[in-house]
Amino acid sequence: MAVSTLTNRETMAHKDMAHKDTSSRVNVAGAHLDDAATEAADYTRAILNILDDIGEEREKQAESQRAVLNILEDIDTDKIRLQSTQKALLNILDDFDAERLKADRANIDLRVVNEAMGSFIDVAAHDLRSPLASMVGFSSLLTENWATLSEQNRLKFVSTINRQSHKLADLVNDLLTLSSIEGGVLRAQPESIVLSEAISACLAAASGDTASVSVSCAPHLVAWVDPNHLERIIDNYVQNAFKYGDPPVRIEVTYLSGTVEIRVIDHGPGVPPEFKSKLFGKFARADVPNTRDKKGSGLGLSIVRGLAEANGGLARYEPILPHGSCFLVILPESEPGQQ
Amino acid sequence: MKKILVVEDDPDVQSLIKAIFSMDPRFSIARVVESAEEAIEAVGMTAPEIIVLDYNLMGELSGLDVAQQLKDLAPQTKIIMFTAHAEVEAQTQDGPTDVFLLKTESMRLLPLAQQMTTLMGFA
Repeated sequence: MAVSTLTNRETMAHKDMAHKDTSSRVNVAGAHLDDAATEAADYTRAILNILDDIGEEREKQAESQRAVLNILEDIDTDKIRLQSTQKALLNILDDFDAERLKADRANIDLRVVNEAMGSFIDVAAHDLRSPLASMVGFSSLLTENWATLSEQNRLKFVSTINRQSHKLADLVNDLLTLSSIEGGVLRAQPESIVLSEAISACLAAASGDTASVSVSCAPHLVAWVDPNHLERIIDNYVQNAFKYGDPPVRIEVTYLSGTVEIRVIDHGPGVPPEFKSKLFGKFARADVPNTRDKKGSGLGLSIVRGLAEANGGLARYEPILPHGSCFLVILPESEPGQQ
Repeated sequence: MKKILVVEDDPDVQSLIKAIFSMDPRFSIARVVESAEEAIEAVGMTAPEIIVLDYNLMGELSGLDVAQQLKDLAPQTKIIMFTAHAEVEAQTQDGPTDVFLLKTESMRLLPLAQQMTTLMGFA
């Protein structure tokens, strides 16, 4: 309201003054504006520079970040490589452990083989020396004391030498047969054999009461086997049945899907359970009273097994309950590939 | 008469030992047994000058197992380990047996027994 009370002059004056003032102000303001503009421009440039700098910094940071990321990636790659190297090393160590275990097992096996070989040599040496002892001893007595010995003693000594020399010959033959089986040089010459005929011939040629052996075998049944090997197998089983088992002894032959099974069955006490695993081993003799005075070479069943396997078959023992033994051999019925 | 105790389970070797000692009338076979257990019983009853002892015998015990016991029962008795087991010789070193002899060397049995009894002052 105060403004409205001013006179025109005053108003004019005011206006003039205001104009002058404004003009000077404008001038000043213009100068100021120029300065401000310059300053603003400077600021702007500065800001732009700063912004540029910030951009550069950001770029640098981004680059650094990228570099760091690259390094991290490299580290990751290296870590993965290290991990795979570590895995490979662990695998190598595992393999090494496995190889060491294998070597340990092989060493144990070798030790067992060595011990078995040592024991085999000891037993073989003993069993070779025993008949030799009688032969050497009695022949020395005869040579040195022929004139003073009675006729009865001479005959007794000579018959002992004769018996022991046969025993020695059997043992040497068994040892040589077993060596050729184990050395892989035994060659079977198999042919088609009519089993009923082969078994009858084998029983007729065998010593002992083999006439009492009953045979159950279909006349047409054949086996693909070396005839000498078959004879040795049957003879061994039958002799064992009479030596260690009790009559009646019977032989049963059956056909089963391309194979024939020959079983020699007796009614003796059977094989002691603890001896079963050693039965087909070398120098296997069960240490039971009824075998004491029935010493064979102890090689018979290991030869039987070797011969059966050389003819593509296998030899096995099965107990007969409540008492008795069954020794069986399984042989191919015909030449492999010809069935 | 020098008494011999034979501890042997093979009938042919028993016969051989009997025949060998029958060549010298100064020796007599007092008894033939087949096991270590029987040998322990027989040594007291026969009081032998010499025991011809096999290694592998009937029964649980071997000749080597029973040798010390035999020596304890009859300290003056000489023990000849007479066996076909060559590997046993190493085990008889410094043991109660006096001589180790392989069965294949049976022609040395009588001279050894003669020598032993002479050294003992029995001959």
